Parts: sequence; structure tokens; C-alpha cells
Amino acid sequence: MHKVRPTYLEFPVFIALYLLFDWATYVDPLYGLNITPWNPDPALGLVFWLRHGWRAAVPWLVALVAGELLVRGLPMGACMTLLSSLWLTLGYGLLGATLRRYFGDSGVFDNRDRLFRWVLIVVLGALLNDLGYISLLSVAGLIPAGQWGAAVLRFGIGDVVGVLVSMPLFWMLSSSSGRQRLIATVWRAETLGYLGLMVGVLFLVFGSIATSEFKHFYFLFLPLIWAAFRQGLYGTALLVFTLQACIGAMVKWNNAVDIAVPELQMLDAVLALVGFSIGIAVDELRKASNELKRTLRLAAAGEMAAALAHELNQPLTALGAYGKACELLLERGETGAVMKGAIQRMIAESGRAADVVRRLRDFFRTGAIKLEALEIGQIMADVTAQFLAPMQEHGVVLTVLPSAALMVQADRLQLELVLRNLLANALEAVLEQPPGARHITLSVSRIAGQRRAGWARHGCMQLTVEDSGNGISAAQAVRLFEPFVSSKASGLGLGLVLSRAMMEAHGGSLWAEVATHGIFRLALPLVRSDEAPVAALV
Amino acid sequence: MQHDLTIFIVDDDPAVRDALGLLLGVRGYRTAMFASGEAFLQAWQSSWRGCLLIDIRMSGMDGLTLQRELLQRECLLPMIIMSGHGDVSSARAAFRANAIDFLEKPFDDGRLIAAIDEALEQARSHHSAQEQRERSVHLLSELTPREREVMQLVVTGRHNRDIGPELGISVRTVEVHKARLMAKLGVDNVADLVRISLLDREA
Repeated sequence: MHKVRPTYLEFPVFIALYLLFDWATYVDPLYGLNITPWNPDPALGLVFWLRHGWRAAVPWLVALVAGELLVRGLPMGACMTLLSSLWLTLGYGLLGATLRRYFGDSGVFDNRDRLFRWVLIVVLGALLNDLGYISLLSVAGLIPAGQWGAAVLRFGIGDVVGVLVSMPLFWMLSSSSGRQRLIATVWRAETLGYLGLMVGVLFLVFGSIATSEFKHFYFLFLPLIWAAFRQGLYGTALLVFTLQACIGAMVKWNNAVDIAVPELQMLDAVLALVGFSIGIAVDELRKASNELKRTLRLAAAGEMAAALAHELNQPLTALGAYGKACELLLERGETGAVMKGAIQRMIAESGRAADVVRRLRDFFRTGAIKLEALEIGQIMADVTAQFLAPMQEHGVVLTVLPSAALMVQADRLQLELVLRNLLANALEAVLEQPPGARHITLSVSRIAGQRRAGWARHGCMQLTVEDSGNGISAAQAVRLFEPFVSSKASGLGLGLVLSRAMMEAHGGSLWAEVATHGIFRLALPLVRSDEAPVAALV
Repeated sequence: MQHDLTIFIVDDDPAVRDALGLLLGVRGYRTAMFASGEAFLQAWQSSWRGCLLIDIRMSGMDGLTLQRELLQRECLLPMIIMSGHGDVSSARAAFRANAIDFLEKPFDDGRLIAAIDEALEQARSHHSAQEQRERSVHLLSELTPREREVMQLVVTGRHNRDIGPELGISVRTVEVHKARLMAKLGVDNVADLVRISLLDREA
């Protein structure tokens, strides 16, 4: 729930925070003015503006004037301080208004377009503001003649870098949903890992920062890429802000005033942009993959529903017919054995319908699977029985190679669905061959010692469906398991995709081999030997 | 009720088969049940009268295949197709193969009975048309060659006075032949005579 905080508290808090940042980053100033290599305070102001619009102008002006007064001791004089603060409020305000127009209160940029737009607005806005501000100070004679360019550069870099590096984190922190997501993303030991690595690299590369050695700066990409790949935009925002803070702290505590701090800032800004780009790409990828998974699950549920609907129709049809028959018998006053039998069969049929409904509900509720220990040979026998007639009709020879009884953990309905799918594909493939050359072979073997998580101890079962069709070419194999790729005229081409998704949900896998005849293999973990009857594993 | 007609139920689900059998039995229809399309084809005889109630989705031969197979064997039993899915393409296929109705499971009793009555009505009219036709063919075979010649000319619309010279007989004799052949065939006007003579041409 969004907690309603009184706004009147927000304003003094904002001013206090602004002054704190101003004081903390008042490092390496030019001419004793507020021209420093890193100004994160405008970032705070911009986020505040995004929340409140033009109402943020007055507190911001107050904060600017107070900063001049408390942090720097009014180096420009009262009149000039007020004038320059007014200009800054106006400049930052325009920047804030532009951002508010494009981003509203929809939160941090979450795709590459919005990232690009944000960078563009920030850079252009900050430069305009910078030109006006420094020109104003030059006219007032506060900046030595000929130093205008250097001052513009220094102030511009300070603002742009400050906003680029700090604003995303402040932005995230400013809304409760952003805070929640940030905490959910970074509240894990791994965060300490990349932050620690970053601090370590920083000290190794720059040492006591008395002299700035940029030779090994690229090591800083390592923690950045770590954060971006693992935690996306949110992790990156935290990392670049912390990196900036560390750089600022090193400079301030070591009082290293003669190093190229602006260059260091530029480096940090570039790191931030690279990190945000990777982070956004990672976030987008993750989002797309989650959506695909959800879609596939829905599609799987749809397939299940269609399969179950047919099963539900049968008992319902029978129930209706029995019921009508009973009614007719009753009208005639025949309440003997025939009616009793019909009623008993009605009860049995309603039980059958209830069972179907239960399975469907379980599937939708958990999205998943009712694992039970199944003997694979039995499942194969059940499924192949349904194919005997069409295979006979088309002269297909089906061979099931004998094997030891193997118990697997699986959902019966789903495993049957997958097997039926594989057999239907095999049948379709062999029909392209002339009669007499149509063979389908099913075999089962046990694979032990797979060095994969979960399988190592118990081994797994591998089921192979081979057919005498044309097989899968290398080019087909690449696309075979993509959704909506189908060689068939009807259907969505989801069969194999769903089959694979179902098998992977079981901790197994499904793949095709490139060969001159069709080979599909399916692997499922075996039941743990302490759970299964020992005899079944012989 | 329809003691000469049987409803043949083909469904692979034992409960559905049994329930439909009971319901129709209680209503006084005579039923026969088959667990698969193959079983029905094996048992089928062309003398069977009645209608078929076929489930579309069965393991083994499906309902539409059975329907096609029966049409190929010139089985004239009217068919009702039952489906659990009711998709348009199979309904279309069923109707193109002369199905009487396409019932979506679960269906209500009223629709089932209406479809069955329509099917049996068709079976009966098939049957009586068949009998009528057989009777007519039999009657035609009893005509003398001369009467048959006269009939062929009468149905092409010729007058007695044209037919006489053509066959080399008198107009009066033509009139006698015509009266006798119409009496034999049990018709009293030329229109009915035309209808029956068409059967002669087919035979």
C-alpha cells in the first residue's frame, strides 16, 4: 500500500538532504564558487521536481541560497547569490519540467528508447543551464577573464555526471514501488560481492589517489558488468552511485586536489551509461523470457483443457442419457433392477467427471504437475495402444524394444501427452516413406552418472523414439523447438515446444538428433532408490 | 414403435454406449451397440435397416472415416455424428458425407430423439422407395416385348395413330396394347407411365 506522507515534511527533508549533498560534494571547487566536478544535488532536485512539478521551485531556490550561505559562506554577495540561484532554479526547473513531461510519474526509464531520451534531455538541459549560469557569473566579474570556457566545462561536467550517475537511484528510491523493487533486487549477498569487488578494484587502480593513474581503469568494468548482468538496471544504479561516492570520498579525505577529477567523473559517467544500457537489455530480456514462459504455460493449459474437455464430455453425455432414461422409467412406474443399475452407473459417471475437473483445477492452480512414480513401460504400452489402429492401417511397423522396468517421477497426463505427441510426429514422418519402409522403434535405457544437478545420484531414464522418416537436418534442428514453427498446415507448431517445456518442468529434457532418420530423445530423472521399491529398479 | 428399424450405436466409450442404449431402449427403439468402427464394418450387412449414431473421436478408426467407408460400400443407413469438440471442419465433413445431424456432446435428449426420428423417417422412406422401385421393376419385367415397344413410343409423346404405322400394326391394336400395359403396371395416366418407364431404361 502506498503510504500517504504529509508533503509539508517532504519539503524540509528535501532541503536538508540537498544541503547535505552540497556539503559532501563541495570538492575541488573553482574560485571558491559552486563549480565542482560532481554535483549530485541537482539529481535530487530533478527527482523532487518529477514528484511535485513547479511546486518544487521554491524549496529548491531555498536550498540553493542556503547552500551558498552555509556551505560556502556567500562568496558572491547577497544580491548575486539570489540572482544566480534564481537562474539555476529556472534552468533546472525547465529541465525538470521537460523530464516530467516525457516521463511523468511512470518511474525510471525501463527501455532503451527512454534511456536515450533521458540522457539527451539531461545533457542538453544541463548544458543550457550551465552556459547561462557561468555567463552570469562572468558578467558579474566573479570568474577571471579568459576562464569562461574552463568554468563552463567544469560546471557542465559536474552537473551532467552528477545527474547521470545519481538520478536513477534517487528516482528508484522516490516511489514505494521503486523502493520495493530495488530492495527485492539488491537485497542479497551477491550485491556485497560486486560492491566489494568494485571498492577493491578502485583502491588497486587508484591507490591513495594522490596521483591519478588511469592505466588500469578498465578493471572497473568487471564489477559493473557483474551487477548489470545479474541484477539489471537496479543493481547497476546502486553500483554506479556507490562508485561515485567512493571516488568522492577518496578525493575529499585525501584532499587530493591536484588530480584530474573531472576526467575521473567522465569515466564514471561513461561507466554508468554502459551499465545502464546492459542493465536495461538484461531487464528486457528477462521480461520477455518470463512473458514467453507464461504464454507457454497458458498454451499448455489450453492444450490440457482441450484434452480434458473431451474427457469431461463423455461422462456428461452418459449422465444425461441415464438421467433421462430413469425419468422415463419412473413415469412408467418401473423402479426395478434396470433403474437401480442406471442410478449406480450415474454415480460412477459423476465420479469420473469430478476426477477430470479435479485434474484440470490442479493444473490451473499450480500451473503444474502431479508427480507420481510411474513405470515407463506401462505408460508406453498405454500410449502405443492408441496408435495401433492407425499404424496398422498405414502399414507401419511399431517395435517396442524390451527393457528393465524403470520408475520415473512424472505427471501421468503430461507424460502421456508428450509421448503421444512424439508418436504422432513419428507416424507423420514415416508416412512420407513407401509402405514397407515405415518403421517406428521405441526404446528405453537407463543412464547413470550424469554429472548434472539432481541426476547424479539416481541417474535418469532415456526414452528414444526412432522413425524411418527423413530425419532432422541441422538447419531444422535449430528451429525445431521454437514456437510457431511448424511443418504442418494445421496447428500452431506448439507441440514440441510444449512437450519440451513439460519435460523441463519435470527436471528432464527433450531433444532431437540430427540424423538421416528421425531420432527424438526424452530424459527423465528416475525415482530415488530409497523411495521406489527396489525390485522395480532391477 | 419402429420394430423393423434398429439404431446402431458406435462409440468407444462404454459408459456413453451403455447409457444411450438404455435411454433409447426405454423409449422403445431397438438398438445394437459396437465398440469401434472396425467392429461395425465387420458385422455390417446390406440388409440392415435403421440408422447409425457414430461418435467422431474414437481410438482406431474415427467416426468420419467410418462414415466415408460406409458410403463407399453403398450403405444407405442414415447417419448421425456425435462430437465432443464440435469444430466446424469436422461438422462440414460430416454433412458433406450426408449426415442427418451433428450433435455436440453433451447433447440433450430432445435433440437426440429429433435427430433419430428424422433419420428413421428417412430410412423408412428410403426403404419404401426401394420397395416401390423393386415392385415396378418386377411389373415391367412382366410386359410382353410388343407392349414394351408400345410403351417406349407412348412415353416419347407419340400419338396412337403415329405408333401404329411405325410398328406395322393397326391403331386399334395399339390402343389394346396400351390399355393392357397400363393395367399391368397399375397406372392410369401417361405421367405415371413415364415415371415407371424410366426404371426400365435404367435396368
